[in-house]
Amino acid sequence: MTHPVVKQLRDFAVGAALAILIATIAFVAVRNKELAASQIDRANAGIEAVVSDRTPLPDVHAVLVGGAEASPKHPYLRRRQVREFGATPAWRPLAVGSPDDKLIYDAANRIERLAADHKKPAFAELLPDGSGRAVAARAVSRGKIAIAVTPPAHPAPYPLLVFIGLLGLGAALSAAGALVGGRARLAGTFAGIATLAIPCVLWRAPVASTAIVLVAAAFASMQLAQITDRLASGFRAHRTAIGFLAPAAVSMFVLVAAPFLIGLLLGFYDHHHGEWTFVGLDNFGEILSGGGRPLDDPLNFWFILGVTVLWTIANVALHVTIGVALALVLSRKWLRGRGIFRMLLILPWAVPNYITALIWKGMFTGEYGAINSLLHEVGLDGVSWFSSWASAFAANVATNTWLGFPFMMVVALGALETIPRELYEAASVDGASAWQRFRHITLPHLRPALGPAVALGSIWTFNMFNVIFLVSGGAPGGSTNILVTDAYRWAFERGERYGMAAAYATIIFLILLLWTVFGTRIVRRKEVAA
Amino acid sequence: MTTQRPRVWKMIATYAALIILCAVVLYPVMLVCKKAFEPGRQFALSASPIPTDITTAHFEKLFTERGAHGELLFLRHALNSIIVALATTVVGVIISCTAAYALSRFKFPGRKTGLTMFLVVQMFPATLLLLPLYVILNKLGLLNSIVGLVLVYSTTAIPFCVWTLKGYFDSLPRELEEAARIDGASTWMIFRRIMLPLARPGIAVTALFSFMTAWNEFIMASTFMTNQTRYTLPVLIQSSVTEFSADWGLFAAGAVVTSIPVMIAFYVLQRALVGGLTAGAVKG
Repeated sequence: MTHPVVKQLRDFAVGAALAILIATIAFVAVRNKELAASQIDRANAGIEAVVSDRTPLPDVHAVLVGGAEASPKHPYLRRRQVREFGATPAWRPLAVGSPDDKLIYDAANRIERLAADHKKPAFAELLPDGSGRAVAARAVSRGKIAIAVTPPAHPAPYPLLVFIGLLGLGAALSAAGALVGGRARLAGTFAGIATLAIPCVLWRAPVASTAIVLVAAAFASMQLAQITDRLASGFRAHRTAIGFLAPAAVSMFVLVAAPFLIGLLLGFYDHHHGEWTFVGLDNFGEILSGGGRPLDDPLNFWFILGVTVLWTIANVALHVTIGVALALVLSRKWLRGRGIFRMLLILPWAVPNYITALIWKGMFTGEYGAINSLLHEVGLDGVSWFSSWASAFAANVATNTWLGFPFMMVVALGALETIPRELYEAASVDGASAWQRFRHITLPHLRPALGPAVALGSIWTFNMFNVIFLVSGGAPGGSTNILVTDAYRWAFERGERYGMAAAYATIIFLILLLWTVFGTRIVRRKEVAA
Repeated sequence: MTTQRPRVWKMIATYAALIILCAVVLYPVMLVCKKAFEPGRQFALSASPIPTDITTAHFEKLFTERGAHGELLFLRHALNSIIVALATTVVGVIISCTAAYALSRFKFPGRKTGLTMFLVVQMFPATLLLLPLYVILNKLGLLNSIVGLVLVYSTTAIPFCVWTLKGYFDSLPRELEEAARIDGASTWMIFRRIMLPLARPGIAVTALFSFMTAWNEFIMASTFMTNQTRYTLPVLIQSSVTEFSADWGLFAAGAVVTSIPVMIAFYVLQRALVGGLTAGAVKG
């Protein structure tokens, strides 16, 4: 039996770690907010100085910028004059290379754009480059613009000593509670962890303070229900397993779970020119309502979903049919050269699929592409494959069938090998026809292996990004896009609408989840029936 | 299936159908090989897969083309690909080995959930994480960085490696471990000195698989790597046939050089691969 103080400190340590994590996040947020506010104040003060023709603070770079005028030599270049305030106020042209001039030039342009849009021609903000510099600009009379740039700011250092001191205090409080025993133990835990909320209260971070107090309360009530003791003993009993699993678990959390959760969150935001705005369910609303577009518009979600489902069904059906048929043929005992045929037929699986997609793209492209040349050979006219929906879709399906059937064939071959020969012999003796043997012996034995393979294959096909992206590229007019390629286009080809793309990914995930749950049910029921 | 030989015409029809299908399968591959050795930038001017004129100009161009800073592009991109693929393999295999062993040998609560989670991650395509990963890597300044790409590729490799290696550990006899335990060996020693050496074939398969996944990945590399010197081979190959300038000869030469190593690897491990991909689905 471990000493109660040791147990108490163990619980305190876990709780305190959580509390410090929360406090650190709060510290960074508050620090950045304060820093931004003070830097912006300094920049604004610089502008005030310029407007009232005073000399600004020495470390703030404040200038008055003239309107843009065309350069006499290169009329497309628009030059500006700038007046420095300082030791010797004088006008000089804005030049490349001189520090801050690019910043000043951009700020001046932005003010003129704001004025042209009938918005208030002034702004003050922190530079997004992480240097902590702020820039403020305001239009003054007669086309002149006042601009001030502050020097970089160094944020306050992390209050390590404060945290160490509070940790000691908290540990002492909780240990004291444990020494008294009984209810005092819970009180000690609560007080000890809650101590760490003090700096958050001082930083005026109410959310973080509340969160830490809640953590403290949670730990105290967990002690009341003896959950912490049970968790600890479970941890001790399985510590080898946990140690072995930790690297994989941590990396999966960091690389899969965290991005996944962030992706879910991003779906509730709108992204525009590097700024994220919370828009609630707007993205989902726009997607599910089709964005007010007619149903046959290639940007309408339901149209794309229809194409995706059709694409998936067509491909999986072809993969399974061709794969199973070939497996049946290859499993005939009298067939010579089975190994060679098998090796040749799985060739498409071996070729990297982006290369396959590009090859087929090349074969379908142009009046004299390989496919059209073949058509010419047999006296048919060439087809402009990517200019109509049906032919572009067919080109995609042809490509994906070529690269996808070997998987089903190999799975079916594996399943066929497990069927005992005696079954067929017995059936033959009983006078079963070839069809009856297939229906009642082969098919039931194929099902357990093919079911999961179909589930897996349908998910792969549903998301077969490379083929759609590289073969038809959505042509004509985006109408052969599937959900994943359309989500990609929202993110990277339609003005960085990351929010829309994230919402798309969430919807795709939900569809696949439904399909997995629903699909495995179907497979299981069939197994029971068989 | 049936033991007796069928009629002759049926046999001939079967062989004919198989040969035709093999021809369909071989045709695109042969076209690329033809294009790699045939002069000209167009993809094909005839349907025949036999080149009429042979040249090694495309390969010479591929190996000697230089980028903006005078570096040899193909070599540079091949080096990027090799580094990314090797690093993914090392990270993937090391992390999965211990996890697979724990899932195979230890009993602990959440074991089944853990296995299912790995399966779900393996089934759901990494493309869904493309955007959040892009946003995160961008924020961390890891776009255009090999490290970022390796981290991302490991997510694809780890679940498969865990499932395959778990299957392999399951198939190893427990008697050796029990004997070693009686002799006083610790769990870590058993794992390190007995299980890892025994699992070498399984590890080889998963390592080859991780390498192949990273070597063949296109869309993430093309999204995350915007700086030409950081391209991997798939991005290089795709960028040789964009809509605006397509050099199919260069593409074909690049495709042949890039595919041959992975195709060999595929044929070496195809049986194990199928087992790994379907085992999870069947057992789960």
